[in-house]
Amino acid sequence: MEEEPRHLAELYRMAVLGRLTAKIVHEITTPAGSIRSNNEVLARSLDALGKLLSDATVKKCAPPAKALDILETLKNLAGVDKIACDRISAVVRGLKTYARVEEGELRKTNLNDLLRDTLKLAGVEFRNRVTLVEDFGEMPAVECYPQSLSQVFLNLLVNAGQAIEGEGQVTVRTRAENGWARISISDTGTGIAPEHRDRIFTPGFTTKPAGEGTGLGLVITREIVVDHHHGTITFESEPGRGTTFHARIPITHPRNRS
Amino acid sequence: MASNPPPAVVIVDDEEMVITSVRAFLRLETEYAIHGFTLPGEAVKFLETNPVDVVVSDYLMPKMNGLELLAKSKQFQPEAARVLLTGHADKQSAIRAINDVGLYQYLEKPWDNQQLLLVIQSAIERTTLLRSLREKISALDTAHSNLKDIQAKLLRAFL
Repeated sequence: MEEEPRHLAELYRMAVLGRLTAKIVHEITTPAGSIRSNNEVLARSLDALGKLLSDATVKKCAPPAKALDILETLKNLAGVDKIACDRISAVVRGLKTYARVEEGELRKTNLNDLLRDTLKLAGVEFRNRVTLVEDFGEMPAVECYPQSLSQVFLNLLVNAGQAIEGEGQVTVRTRAENGWARISISDTGTGIAPEHRDRIFTPGFTTKPAGEGTGLGLVITREIVVDHHHGTITFESEPGRGTTFHARIPITHPRNRS
Repeated sequence: MASNPPPAVVIVDDEEMVITSVRAFLRLETEYAIHGFTLPGEAVKFLETNPVDVVVSDYLMPKMNGLELLAKSKQFQPEAARVLLTGHADKQSAIRAINDVGLYQYLEKPWDNQQLLLVIQSAIERTTLLRSLREKISALDTAHSNLKDIQAKLLRAFL
Protein backbone atom coordinates (compact mmCIF):
# COMPACT_ATOMS: atom_id res chain seq x y z
CA MET A 1 0.00 0.00 0.00
CA GLU A 2 1.32 3.39 -0.91
CA GLU A 3 1.71 5.97 1.79
CA GLU A 4 -0.19 9.20 1.40
CA PRO A 5 2.33 11.75 0.14
CA ARG A 6 2.95 14.35 2.79
CA HIS A 7 1.93 17.83 2.05
CA LEU A 8 4.71 20.05 0.76
CA ALA A 9 4.08 22.56 3.53
CA GLU A 10 4.63 19.87 6.17
CA LEU A 11 7.97 18.88 4.66
CA TYR A 12 9.02 22.48 4.41
CA ARG A 13 8.02 23.08 8.03
CA MET A 14 10.37 20.35 9.17
CA ALA A 15 13.16 21.61 6.89
CA VAL A 16 12.95 25.06 8.50
CA LEU A 17 13.21 23.42 11.91
CA GLY A 18 16.17 21.34 10.74
CA ARG A 19 18.04 24.47 9.75
CA LEU A 20 17.48 25.98 13.18
CA THR A 21 18.64 22.87 15.03
CA ALA A 22 22.28 23.84 15.49
CA LYS A 23 21.23 27.16 16.98
CA ILE A 24 18.56 25.56 19.16
CA VAL A 25 21.21 23.19 20.50
CA HIS A 26 23.42 26.17 21.31
CA GLU A 27 20.52 27.88 23.05
CA ILE A 28 20.01 24.84 25.30
CA THR A 29 23.69 23.99 25.81
CA THR A 30 24.63 27.23 27.56
CA PRO A 31 22.07 27.03 30.38
CA ALA A 32 22.58 23.25 30.62
CA GLY A 33 26.32 23.83 31.07
CA SER A 34 25.64 26.33 33.83
CA ILE A 35 23.27 24.00 35.66
CA ARG A 36 25.73 21.15 35.44
CA SER A 37 28.61 23.25 36.78
CA ASN A 38 26.42 24.73 39.52
CA ASN A 39 25.27 21.32 40.64
CA GLU A 40 28.84 20.26 41.26
CA VAL A 41 29.66 23.50 43.08
CA LEU A 42 26.48 23.18 45.19
CA ALA A 43 27.40 19.69 46.35
CA ARG A 44 30.95 20.72 47.28
CA SER A 45 29.85 23.96 48.90
CA LEU A 46 27.31 22.15 51.06
CA ASP A 47 30.07 19.81 52.27
CA ALA A 48 32.32 22.76 53.07
CA LEU A 49 29.46 24.57 54.76
CA GLY A 50 28.58 21.53 56.86
CA LYS A 51 32.18 21.22 58.01
CA LEU A 52 32.51 24.91 58.89
CA LEU A 53 29.26 24.85 60.88
CA SER A 54 30.06 21.69 62.80
CA ASP A 55 33.55 23.02 63.62
CA ALA A 56 31.94 26.23 64.86
CA THR A 57 29.49 24.22 67.00
CA VAL A 58 32.31 22.22 68.57
CA LYS A 59 34.26 25.40 69.33
CA LYS A 60 31.05 27.12 70.45
CA CYS A 61 31.70 30.18 68.31
CA ALA A 62 29.68 32.06 65.72
CA PRO A 63 29.64 30.70 62.15
CA PRO A 64 32.78 31.97 60.39
CA ALA A 65 32.61 34.62 57.67
CA LYS A 66 33.57 31.99 55.10
CA ALA A 67 30.29 30.17 55.83
CA LEU A 68 28.26 33.29 55.14
CA ASP A 69 30.26 33.76 51.96
CA ILE A 70 29.38 30.25 50.81
CA LEU A 71 25.70 30.83 51.64
CA GLU A 72 25.74 33.93 49.43
CA THR A 73 27.28 31.92 46.57
CA LEU A 74 24.67 29.18 46.99
CA LYS A 75 21.88 31.74 46.79
CA ASN A 76 23.36 33.17 43.57
CA LEU A 77 23.67 29.75 42.00
CA ALA A 78 20.07 28.85 42.87
CA GLY A 79 19.02 32.06 41.09
CA VAL A 80 21.10 31.18 38.03
CA ASP A 81 19.64 27.67 37.93
CA LYS A 82 16.13 29.06 37.88
CA ILE A 83 16.92 31.40 34.98
CA ALA A 84 18.71 28.57 33.15
CA CYS A 85 15.75 26.19 33.58
CA ASP A 86 13.32 28.87 32.39
CA ARG A 87 15.46 29.43 29.29
CA ILE A 88 15.48 25.74 28.43
CA SER A 89 11.72 25.42 29.08
CA ALA A 90 10.94 28.39 26.84
CA VAL A 91 12.86 26.93 23.88
CA VAL A 92 11.31 23.51 24.44
CA ARG A 93 7.83 25.05 24.56
CA GLY A 94 8.50 26.83 21.28
CA LEU A 95 9.69 23.56 19.77
CA LYS A 96 6.62 21.69 20.98
CA THR A 97 4.26 24.30 19.57
CA TYR A 98 6.03 24.31 16.25
CA ALA A 99 6.75 20.63 15.80
CA ARG A 100 3.29 19.37 16.70
CA VAL A 101 1.59 17.92 13.65
CA GLU A 102 -1.31 20.03 12.42
CA GLU A 103 -4.52 18.32 13.47
CA GLY A 104 -6.33 19.80 10.51
CA GLU A 105 -9.02 21.26 12.71
CA LEU A 106 -9.79 24.87 13.35
CA ARG A 107 -9.00 25.91 16.92
CA LYS A 108 -9.71 29.13 18.73
CA THR A 109 -6.23 30.37 19.45
CA ASN A 110 -4.65 33.27 21.24
CA LEU A 111 -2.34 34.54 18.50
CA ASN A 112 -0.24 36.58 20.93
CA ASP A 113 0.63 33.39 22.85
CA LEU A 114 1.34 31.54 19.61
CA LEU A 115 3.62 34.39 18.50
CA ARG A 116 5.44 34.42 21.84
CA ASP A 117 6.23 30.70 21.52
CA THR A 118 7.34 31.12 17.92
CA LEU A 119 9.50 34.09 18.87
CA LYS A 120 11.39 31.85 21.30
CA LEU A 121 12.38 29.68 18.36
CA ALA A 122 13.10 32.55 16.00
CA GLY A 123 15.11 34.16 18.80
CA VAL A 124 17.84 31.54 18.36
CA GLU A 125 18.37 32.93 14.86
CA PHE A 126 18.51 36.50 16.14
CA ARG A 127 20.45 36.05 19.33
CA ASN A 128 22.70 39.00 20.09
CA ARG A 129 22.35 40.50 16.67
CA VAL A 130 18.77 41.58 16.38
CA THR A 131 16.65 43.34 18.99
CA LEU A 132 13.11 42.01 19.19
CA VAL A 133 10.31 44.43 19.92
CA GLU A 134 6.88 43.04 20.85
CA ASP A 135 3.95 45.37 20.42
CA PHE A 136 0.97 43.13 21.10
CA GLY A 137 -2.54 44.55 21.15
CA GLU A 138 -5.63 43.05 22.79
CA MET A 139 -6.71 40.13 20.63
CA PRO A 140 -9.80 37.95 20.69
CA ALA A 141 -9.22 34.21 20.16
CA VAL A 142 -8.84 33.60 16.43
CA GLU A 143 -10.25 30.54 14.65
CA CYS A 144 -7.26 29.10 12.84
CA TYR A 145 -4.90 26.20 12.20
CA PRO A 146 -2.34 27.06 14.89
CA GLN A 147 0.56 24.90 13.68
CA SER A 148 0.26 26.32 10.17
CA LEU A 149 0.16 29.87 11.47
CA SER A 150 3.15 29.19 13.69
CA GLN A 151 4.95 28.22 10.49
CA VAL A 152 3.87 31.47 8.82
CA PHE A 153 5.23 33.46 11.77
CA LEU A 154 8.51 31.55 11.87
CA ASN A 155 9.02 31.97 8.10
CA LEU A 156 8.41 35.71 8.30
CA LEU A 157 10.56 36.11 11.41
CA VAL A 158 13.49 34.13 10.02
CA ASN A 159 13.27 36.12 6.75
CA ALA A 160 13.23 39.35 8.75
CA GLY A 161 16.31 38.28 10.68
CA GLN A 162 18.14 37.24 7.53
CA ALA A 163 17.32 40.55 5.81
CA ILE A 164 19.35 42.33 8.48
CA GLU A 165 23.08 42.44 7.88
CA GLY A 166 24.81 42.96 11.21
CA GLU A 167 22.65 44.51 13.87
CA GLY A 168 19.08 45.69 13.64
CA GLN A 169 15.57 45.43 14.95
CA VAL A 170 12.55 43.25 14.29
CA THR A 171 9.18 44.50 15.47
CA VAL A 172 6.16 42.26 15.85
CA ARG A 173 2.83 44.06 16.07
CA THR A 174 -0.61 42.54 16.57
CA ARG A 175 -3.94 44.36 16.30
CA ALA A 176 -7.59 43.37 16.10
CA GLU A 177 -9.46 45.42 13.48
CA ASN A 178 -13.12 44.97 12.40
CA GLY A 179 -13.27 41.21 12.58
CA TRP A 180 -9.68 40.73 11.43
CA ALA A 181 -6.46 39.97 13.26
CA ARG A 182 -3.47 41.77 11.80
CA ILE A 183 0.06 40.55 12.46
CA SER A 184 2.81 42.82 11.18
CA ILE A 185 6.46 41.85 11.18
CA SER A 186 8.93 44.63 10.37
CA ASP A 187 12.66 44.50 9.97
CA THR A 188 15.32 47.18 9.59
CA GLY A 189 17.04 45.13 6.89
CA THR A 190 18.11 45.58 3.30
CA GLY A 191 14.59 45.74 1.86
CA ILE A 192 13.22 44.09 -1.27
CA ALA A 193 14.51 45.48 -4.57
CA PRO A 194 11.67 46.96 -6.69
CA GLU A 195 12.40 44.54 -9.55
CA HIS A 196 11.92 41.56 -7.21
CA ARG A 197 8.61 42.63 -5.70
CA ASP A 198 6.36 40.94 -8.28
CA ARG A 199 8.14 37.66 -7.89
CA ILE A 200 8.58 37.05 -4.16
CA PHE A 201 5.50 34.80 -3.97
CA THR A 202 6.56 32.82 -7.06
CA PRO A 203 7.72 29.26 -6.38
CA GLY A 204 11.48 28.88 -6.71
CA PHE A 205 12.26 32.58 -6.53
CA THR A 206 14.94 33.41 -3.97
CA THR A 207 17.63 36.01 -3.45
CA LYS A 208 19.34 33.97 -0.76
CA PRO A 209 22.62 32.18 -1.51
CA ALA A 210 22.38 28.75 -3.14
CA GLY A 211 21.72 26.09 -0.55
CA GLU A 212 20.12 28.54 1.86
CA GLY A 213 16.97 29.69 0.12
CA THR A 214 14.47 27.23 -1.30
CA GLY A 215 12.19 29.76 -2.88
CA LEU A 216 9.31 28.06 -1.06
CA GLY A 217 9.02 29.95 2.25
CA LEU A 218 6.80 32.77 1.04
CA VAL A 219 4.86 30.50 -1.33
CA ILE A 220 3.86 28.33 1.60
CA THR A 221 3.27 31.36 3.78
CA ARG A 222 0.88 32.76 1.18
CA GLU A 223 -0.85 29.42 0.75
CA ILE A 224 -1.47 29.07 4.50
CA VAL A 225 -2.70 32.64 4.98
CA VAL A 226 -4.75 33.06 1.80
CA ASP A 227 -5.91 29.55 0.84
CA HIS A 228 -6.32 27.97 4.28
CA HIS A 229 -7.40 30.97 6.33
CA HIS A 230 -9.03 33.23 3.73
CA GLY A 231 -6.73 35.99 4.85
CA THR A 232 -4.44 38.39 3.02
CA ILE A 233 -0.72 38.90 2.98
CA THR A 234 0.83 42.17 1.87
CA PHE A 235 4.14 43.93 2.30
CA GLU A 236 5.79 47.29 2.02
CA SER A 237 9.50 47.68 1.55
CA GLU A 238 12.08 50.37 1.14
CA PRO A 239 15.57 49.38 0.01
CA GLY A 240 18.05 50.16 2.76
CA ARG A 241 15.33 50.86 5.35
CA GLY A 242 13.56 47.53 5.72
CA THR A 243 10.43 45.56 5.04
CA THR A 244 7.11 45.00 6.78
CA PHE A 245 4.86 42.03 6.09
CA HIS A 246 1.21 42.21 7.16
CA ALA A 247 -0.79 39.01 7.54
CA ARG A 248 -4.52 39.52 8.07
CA ILE A 249 -6.57 36.60 9.34
CA PRO A 250 -10.36 36.70 9.80
CA ILE A 251 -11.20 36.20 13.49
CA THR A 252 -14.00 33.82 12.52
CA HIS A 253 -13.08 31.37 9.79
CA PRO A 254 -15.55 31.75 6.83
CA ARG A 255 -16.37 28.05 7.07
CA ASN A 256 -18.03 28.64 10.43
CA ARG A 257 -19.84 31.82 9.55
CA SER A 258 -23.60 31.61 9.52
CA MET B 1 59.12 35.78 49.43
CA ALA B 2 57.00 38.89 49.04
CA SER B 3 53.29 38.15 48.90
CA ASN B 4 52.59 38.02 45.20
CA PRO B 5 49.15 39.11 44.01
CA PRO B 6 46.95 36.10 43.17
CA PRO B 7 46.83 35.04 39.51
CA ALA B 8 44.25 37.08 37.58
CA VAL B 9 41.69 35.34 35.38
CA VAL B 10 39.41 37.23 32.98
CA ILE B 11 36.16 35.55 31.89
CA VAL B 12 34.14 37.03 29.03
CA ASP B 13 30.70 35.68 28.13
CA ASP B 14 27.59 37.58 27.13
CA GLU B 15 25.64 35.14 29.32
CA GLU B 16 25.78 36.35 32.90
CA MET B 17 24.91 32.81 34.05
CA VAL B 18 28.12 31.36 32.63
CA ILE B 19 30.22 33.94 34.46
CA THR B 20 28.36 33.35 37.73
CA SER B 21 28.81 29.58 37.47
CA VAL B 22 32.49 29.67 36.53
CA ARG B 23 33.23 32.30 39.15
CA ALA B 24 31.50 30.29 41.90
CA PHE B 25 33.47 27.20 40.94
CA LEU B 26 36.84 28.97 40.79
CA ARG B 27 36.22 30.77 44.07
CA LEU B 28 35.52 27.44 45.72
CA GLU B 29 38.62 25.74 44.31
CA THR B 30 41.20 28.50 43.98
CA GLU B 31 42.44 31.84 45.29
CA TYR B 32 42.46 33.46 41.84
CA ALA B 33 41.26 37.00 41.30
CA ILE B 34 38.37 36.57 38.87
CA HIS B 35 37.19 39.37 36.61
CA GLY B 36 33.99 38.63 34.69
CA PHE B 37 32.64 40.72 31.78
CA THR B 38 29.44 40.33 29.77
CA LEU B 39 30.50 43.10 27.37
CA PRO B 40 33.66 42.36 25.34
CA GLY B 41 34.37 46.10 25.06
CA GLU B 42 34.63 46.40 28.84
CA ALA B 43 36.96 43.41 28.95
CA VAL B 44 39.23 45.06 26.35
CA LYS B 45 39.33 48.26 28.44
CA PHE B 46 40.32 46.20 31.48
CA LEU B 47 43.00 44.34 29.53
CA GLU B 48 44.58 47.59 28.33
CA THR B 49 45.71 48.50 31.83
CA ASN B 50 45.51 45.46 34.14
CA PRO B 51 47.99 42.60 33.90
CA VAL B 52 46.24 39.22 33.79
CA ASP B 53 47.35 35.59 33.47
CA VAL B 54 44.51 33.98 31.51
CA VAL B 55 41.65 35.22 29.34
CA VAL B 56 38.74 32.80 28.86
CA SER B 57 36.27 34.00 26.24
CA ASP B 58 33.00 32.89 24.67
CA TYR B 59 32.86 32.95 20.87
CA LEU B 60 29.44 34.31 19.84
CA MET B 61 28.93 37.71 21.46
CA PRO B 62 27.34 40.96 20.33
CA LYS B 63 29.53 43.72 18.85
CA MET B 64 32.77 41.72 19.13
CA ASN B 65 33.29 37.99 18.83
CA GLY B 66 35.62 35.92 20.97
CA LEU B 67 38.38 35.82 18.35
CA GLU B 68 38.43 39.61 17.99
CA LEU B 69 38.55 39.91 21.76
CA LEU B 70 41.41 37.42 22.09
CA ALA B 71 43.29 39.21 19.29
CA LYS B 72 43.05 42.43 21.35
CA SER B 73 44.19 40.52 24.40
CA LYS B 74 47.21 39.25 22.45
CA GLN B 75 47.99 42.81 21.41
CA PHE B 76 47.82 44.28 24.94
CA GLN B 77 49.07 41.28 26.91
CA PRO B 78 50.98 38.88 24.69
CA GLU B 79 51.96 36.71 27.65
CA ALA B 80 48.43 36.10 28.99
CA ALA B 81 47.15 32.69 27.82
CA ARG B 82 44.08 32.75 25.58
CA VAL B 83 41.29 30.20 25.97
CA LEU B 84 38.11 29.98 23.86
CA LEU B 85 35.08 28.46 25.62
CA THR B 86 32.34 28.07 23.08
CA GLY B 87 29.00 26.42 22.50
CA HIS B 88 29.38 27.20 18.83
CA ALA B 89 31.33 24.14 17.77
CA ASP B 90 32.49 24.85 14.29
CA LYS B 91 35.76 23.58 13.01
CA GLN B 92 36.58 26.65 10.94
CA SER B 93 36.40 29.04 13.88
CA ALA B 94 38.55 26.64 15.89
CA ILE B 95 41.23 26.54 13.21
CA ARG B 96 41.14 30.31 12.81
CA ALA B 97 41.40 30.71 16.57
CA ILE B 98 44.48 28.55 16.79
CA ASN B 99 46.21 30.13 13.80
CA ASP B 100 45.25 33.79 14.14
CA VAL B 101 45.25 34.42 17.87
CA GLY B 102 47.66 31.75 19.07
CA LEU B 103 45.05 30.01 21.16
CA TYR B 104 46.20 28.10 24.22
CA GLN B 105 43.09 25.88 24.47
CA TYR B 106 39.75 25.42 22.73
CA LEU B 107 36.99 24.25 25.08
CA GLU B 108 33.41 23.38 24.27
CA LYS B 109 30.24 24.02 26.22
CA PRO B 110 28.86 22.37 28.25
CA TRP B 111 32.21 22.48 29.95
CA ASP B 112 33.65 20.12 32.51
CA ASN B 113 34.72 21.99 35.64
CA GLN B 114 37.74 19.80 36.35
CA GLN B 115 38.98 20.15 32.79
CA LEU B 116 38.42 23.89 32.86
CA LEU B 117 40.36 24.13 36.12
CA LEU B 118 43.21 22.05 34.73
CA VAL B 119 43.41 24.24 31.63
CA ILE B 120 43.39 27.45 33.68
CA GLN B 121 46.03 26.11 36.10
CA SER B 122 48.40 25.07 33.35
CA ALA B 123 47.73 28.32 31.48
CA ILE B 124 48.72 30.30 34.58
CA GLU B 125 51.86 28.21 34.92
CA ARG B 126 52.76 28.92 31.32
CA THR B 127 52.15 32.65 31.73
CA THR B 128 54.31 32.70 34.88
CA LEU B 129 57.10 30.90 33.07
CA LEU B 130 56.91 33.27 30.11
CA ARG B 131 57.07 36.25 32.46
CA SER B 132 60.05 34.95 34.36
CA LEU B 133 61.74 34.09 31.07
CA ARG B 134 61.23 37.64 29.89
CA GLU B 135 62.58 39.00 33.22
CA LYS B 136 65.65 36.74 33.00
CA ILE B 137 66.31 37.80 29.40
CA SER B 138 66.11 41.45 30.34
CA ALA B 139 68.37 40.81 33.36
CA LEU B 140 70.83 39.10 31.00
CA ASP B 141 70.61 42.05 28.61
CA THR B 142 71.34 44.47 31.43
CA ALA B 143 74.25 42.33 32.66
CA HIS B 144 75.57 42.09 29.12
CA SER B 145 75.49 45.81 28.53
CA ASN B 146 77.07 46.43 31.97
CA LEU B 147 79.89 44.08 31.04
CA LYS B 148 80.37 45.89 27.76
CA ASP B 149 80.59 49.20 29.60
CA ILE B 150 83.18 47.77 31.96
CA GLN B 151 85.11 46.34 29.06
CA ALA B 152 85.05 49.70 27.32
CA LYS B 153 86.25 51.46 30.49
CA LEU B 154 89.03 48.90 30.96
CA LEU B 155 90.15 49.35 27.37
CA ARG B 156 90.16 53.12 27.80
CA ALA B 157 92.15 52.84 31.06
CA PHE B 158 94.87 50.63 29.62
CA LEU B 159 95.25 51.89 26.09
